[in-house]
Amino acid sequence: MRNRWVQLSFVGWSVFFLSMICASAQKDESHIHVVVDMVQLNVAVTDNNGNYVTGLRPQEFVITEDGIQQKLATFAEGNEPTRRLLNLADSNDPAPLGSVPPAATKSLLANDPPATLGSLVAGANVFILFDTSNYMYRGFVFAQDAIAEFVRSLDAADKVAFYSYSRDLSRSARLTSDRSQVIGAVRTTVAGDDAALYNTLLLTVKDASQISGRKVIVVFSNGPDNASMVPPEDVAELAQSTGIPVYMISTREAKIEPISSTVFERMTAATGGKAYFAKNWKDEKRAFASIRDDLGHLYSLSYYPQANPNRGWRTIQVRLVGERLKKYHIRTRNGYRPLPARFTAESAAVPAPESGP
Amino acid sequence: MKSPLPVLLVAVAVLLSSSPATADAARGADSSDQALPGSSNAVVNIPGPLRSFMRMAAISQKVAPDEVLPLLGRNVFIEGYEGYQSSRRPTEFLILLHRYVQQARELSNLTDRHGILRVANCEQAKPVLRVLGYRLRPDCGKESTYLETAQPERAFLTIDSGFPLPQLEQALRGGKPFEYEYRGSQVPILFSDREWLASATLDRSNNKDVIDVIVTEPDVARLYWALSRLDPDVTQVLKKSVGIRKLAPLAAVLDFYGTQFRIESGQVLVPGGSEAESSWKDLVGASPADPGEFLERLLAKDRGWLAAYFDALSRLKMSEQKHFTEPQRLRRLYAAFRAPDTSAEAARAVFRPAPGLLLLMTRTQWQADGQPYVPGNLSAWKQIFRQPSDAKVVRDLGKRASHWSTPEQLLEAMFALTRIDSRDTPLQTYLLLSEVDGGRSRQQRLSPDTVQMLARKIARFSDQYLIFCEFPELNDLSISHFLTSAEALDKIPDHVLRGNAMGIFQAQVGIWQIFARQGQIPAAKLNDSWQSTVRPFARIGSAAQLFDVGQNSLREMLKVASGRAHLSQDQVFDLLAGPRQTDAEAERIRQEVADRMRAVLDGQRLVSLDTVFGLGDGLEELARGKVSANSLLPAAGELREFEMPRPIFTPGERTEWSGATYNNNHTELQMRTDLTRIIKSPHSAAQLQEARGQLVPFLRDTLVGLNYAYYEPPGAQALHSNPLLVRSHDFAGDTLAGVEKRVWLAADLVGEGSPAGGGAHLVGSLAELPYVLAEVEQDFISPESVQALIWRELVPEFLVDATVPRWWNVSRNELHAIALHQRAGEELLSAAQNDADLANKVLSILSQRMIPLAFERLQESLATKRVEEILPKITPADTFYLAAEFRRQHPQAVAAVGPAGQELDKISSQYPDEVDWKRLSRDFGVPHPILAQSYRRELLNLKPFPAFQGYSSRLLAESWDSSNLYWARLADEMGYSPASLNRLVPELTRRMVEKIFATEFEDWPAILRALQETGREFRQGKFSSVEMTAASSQH
Repeated sequence: MRNRWVQLSFVGWSVFFLSMICASAQKDESHIHVVVDMVQLNVAVTDNNGNYVTGLRPQEFVITEDGIQQKLATFAEGNEPTRRLLNLADSNDPAPLGSVPPAATKSLLANDPPATLGSLVAGANVFILFDTSNYMYRGFVFAQDAIAEFVRSLDAADKVAFYSYSRDLSRSARLTSDRSQVIGAVRTTVAGDDAALYNTLLLTVKDASQISGRKVIVVFSNGPDNASMVPPEDVAELAQSTGIPVYMISTREAKIEPISSTVFERMTAATGGKAYFAKNWKDEKRAFASIRDDLGHLYSLSYYPQANPNRGWRTIQVRLVGERLKKYHIRTRNGYRPLPARFTAESAAVPAPESGP
Repeated sequence: MKSPLPVLLVAVAVLLSSSPATADAARGADSSDQALPGSSNAVVNIPGPLRSFMRMAAISQKVAPDEVLPLLGRNVFIEGYEGYQSSRRPTEFLILLHRYVQQARELSNLTDRHGILRVANCEQAKPVLRVLGYRLRPDCGKESTYLETAQPERAFLTIDSGFPLPQLEQALRGGKPFEYEYRGSQVPILFSDREWLASATLDRSNNKDVIDVIVTEPDVARLYWALSRLDPDVTQVLKKSVGIRKLAPLAAVLDFYGTQFRIESGQVLVPGGSEAESSWKDLVGASPADPGEFLERLLAKDRGWLAAYFDALSRLKMSEQKHFTEPQRLRRLYAAFRAPDTSAEAARAVFRPAPGLLLLMTRTQWQADGQPYVPGNLSAWKQIFRQPSDAKVVRDLGKRASHWSTPEQLLEAMFALTRIDSRDTPLQTYLLLSEVDGGRSRQQRLSPDTVQMLARKIARFSDQYLIFCEFPELNDLSISHFLTSAEALDKIPDHVLRGNAMGIFQAQVGIWQIFARQGQIPAAKLNDSWQSTVRPFARIGSAAQLFDVGQNSLREMLKVASGRAHLSQDQVFDLLAGPRQTDAEAERIRQEVADRMRAVLDGQRLVSLDTVFGLGDGLEELARGKVSANSLLPAAGELREFEMPRPIFTPGERTEWSGATYNNNHTELQMRTDLTRIIKSPHSAAQLQEARGQLVPFLRDTLVGLNYAYYEPPGAQALHSNPLLVRSHDFAGDTLAGVEKRVWLAADLVGEGSPAGGGAHLVGSLAELPYVLAEVEQDFISPESVQALIWRELVPEFLVDATVPRWWNVSRNELHAIALHQRAGEELLSAAQNDADLANKVLSILSQRMIPLAFERLQESLATKRVEEILPKITPADTFYLAAEFRRQHPQAVAAVGPAGQELDKISSQYPDEVDWKRLSRDFGVPHPILAQSYRRELLNLKPFPAFQGYSSRLLAESWDSSNLYWARLADEMGYSPASLNRLVPELTRRMVEKIFATEFEDWPAILRALQETGREFRQGKFSSVEMTAASSQH
């Protein structure tokens, strides 16, 4: 079995030094020690037609947490290198805005070689979670085709992990830059058994949260869950708190099933991702293309939270400054809950055996 | 093992046959591993790679070739058909298997004469892709080339069977040749193809080989499976004397009850030995000296019930068999067993019926005069049988009970009750009370009054009695106080107060149990501390009073366990983690254990005991004017810090979609609690005193949380991620209709797979918390192999074996003795292959533990001097038992066999107390909550239990006691301290579970394989203790 700690290595996002800071000091031993990472946000900005708005600058974003304005620490657009922001006053000139219609992107996706497309998502760590439960039986192979195509198109992305689930999670391909390994994993899944989507999505979020850098989870599921022990709320909260957008692709059948479609829509919205309900396997491919498109146009912002006594849920708001930008729509996670961290790996490390065998 | 899609139905003829095109190219299967019983060296050819066939047939990839056909037979009759007899229809599993074989045959036709599938270029790819159900996009030979589905049915088979499609795609993209060995695979057959073809009863025209017959005739499939698990001598006798065709109708009985048959020197070995032969001859109607006739009649007699009786007796040790097979008793007990329903069949269901029979036989206790032991006295049992019952058999026995004059008659009644499919008969009472009383000294036996009291209340409190089995020191008065308090709690009219009181009461009992088990409550104080813990709960009239009782009772218990009544929550964790260790390393591990518990309470976001008790004391002092109101406000504010998870559903959606499983009244009530208002506003002393009652729900959750945290299973996630898990525990049955009668029993798991239900939670008591939590958390363990599953019948018990035991009081010598026993057992086996006398002694001991087929293989390996091959297939518990029992029977002989035996002798004489069997059993055994009705650890030395219907599937897992023995040996040999087991065992167990790749849940070799693979990786340093600790902290 691969050592999960290998995944902790930095993968080109050196600017994202994840030093931990204490948001609230430990008052005494009876209090939970709340630790807050640098907060990362993936922000999609679109116009009324759903076109991505590009060319925005750091100072045009205002982030508040529980109403407290935050200072941006880093900024990146799409596949640009991330910039650490030392002094925002350096560049106050308005930049020319651009917008990229999804249709144009789609056309690009459909006709251009994957290398071009892949460059859009350079630096992302993409976790794919594939439903292999009995619910997926009918569309199983088409779904695999769509996922394989998606993986192939992610050439320039940092790394991809492929997990599948029914009642249990199978980490078929750990995070890797080797596409053939991932596609091999896609093509060796086995169908059958109950569906525990939220259990396994929770495990996926936890795996992803161990990785530094930008990461997203793409779930391909037919919807129903008949075996999970944890509710979707807990999974959504964890994804929000760890800054991981969740994208979900499902079928029209799932759309008919109101519980799943409700969860899919609300969970993805809360985390800054999106839900897609595909009519057929061609639509599934389009949904994947749309996710690639999204990844390529996200702004990555981060900040270290200002002093905030709130140890519960913290609401995040992102807005754009200036009249000309007010018309645009923003999609990102809407908050997070600082995680208690009294017990850490460091505190538990112990020496090896007393003597050799 | 994940079987593909057992849900869909299509009635089609299912025919499989081997491909002549591949027959000559077939490679020889490696059948040297184990000779199939009755093997005639015949083989059958399976088209395509064996691993693909095994995937489609839902057979573990780790089995040997000679196990493939038996497991195919098993899967066909278990999973291949729906309906019964004439209404039988093939399931999707069988249909897919059939389609796969067709596809494999087509691909085989495309291979060259060496059985290689070659694709040199795009043109050659076309026919292959057609068979596979794929097509090339957009053009062949370009970097952008990829494969996509053309025919979904075929493509599904391609993927499901594990065809290397990515490699083919890669080759086509790069314009490189693709080669794949696609030879047919030969696997050994039991008997011969011809004989199986002749056994077919249905249309034979399309049958080409044994596989066709197995797949098309489920009775034959079952017979094949059954015969392959028999002692080879028995298989041969049955084939010769009865014949395959005549055996087919008896396949089910043979499957369930045949594995214990043994023939030696031309004679069937019957339970009870030679002294019982004439009794068996009478019962069966044939002499054991005529094995063919005896076995045939045994299988056919009384619709299989005599075979069931024979089987259960055969599984006992000879000393136990002797009791039951006294001539008169054998007949009388069988008559009693058979009587309740003579028309029922003993092998109609998927699992064996009447689990109580084997349980009763295994656990019956005998008095010195040879009579069965009766808890209380016979009069008490006459009363017990007069209690109202829904079962006619019970009522009839009750009428006869007044005439009983001997314990023998009570035992006969119990045998009759084993046929009743209910957990609510006097049999369960007898089994449970025998366990409660059985561990007591003569002076401390339960009084007849206590027996009757326990029996009267058993329907409501049976699972609570497990603690009385675990602590036989608890006397009649302690038991009585417990029941008085529990019943008083039941009568609290306010359901909110009742639920909180039941929760606090049980949580305190749970904490007492932990302290007592860890030796922190001295034996002399067990009764006093128990009574002071439970007794105050008999008079709860208000929430404020409950708060006082809960606080005082906990403080009393802490005082006994630590010497101090007032401990902080951190200190309580410290105490629960185990006794303080003098060794620095051990102490650090103990702190880790405490930290893990703290992490659970953090994950549950529970208010700390310090806050709750601090506020309680503060309110009292405020009432007396000793503190200012402002000083209490920060703590009162902490009560309001908890927030519900951000809702995904609206209240209306929850109501509509949760199926009534969402109920968080307890949490919502907590969230409405605002002590700051009372503290800030004008108040009387009485109002402040009363306000302490508002702390009760918080106190309950934190105390319950301590119990949850202590039993955290390895790999747990829900405990860390669902902050409502503890809060949602429903003690009073408020959230589900109709569960009021079950609230004191083991908790039910509610809300699994109900996304709008707020997550799974427990409804019921804490009595079996370790097991229920393991059920909650088991599916967060990820199987390592594609197609492997977490076996729900086994895994929770394995997790319990790792979470309940702690090793703080284990000495180095003890740990070393565990390893030495196992090594000495191996030495004995190795030496026995060169020493006939030793071989007889060894076999005589192991015949009491091993099933006949395994025993036969061992015998054969000793005879052929190939013990080294069989050693890895012998469980650690077997080698351990062998050494221990051999030393008991031949005290001087074991040292002569090898160095481990010598060293074992040496430390046994130097440290007799530490190497004492009872102590080793207590420290390295496992809990048996169903078998022995206790969480006490014990090595029971039983043959593996078979799978039964219903709850009794747990018996199967409880009969596995090898894991902790093996982990202990591993730790000893790698130089770890005994205290390290507290860290190692949970994590090694989790990794073992990940590695289990079994075809069915009676697949003990798969469990042993997973155990050994884990040990091997640990020895090789593939994961270290440090890493494991870090991993377990990443919740």
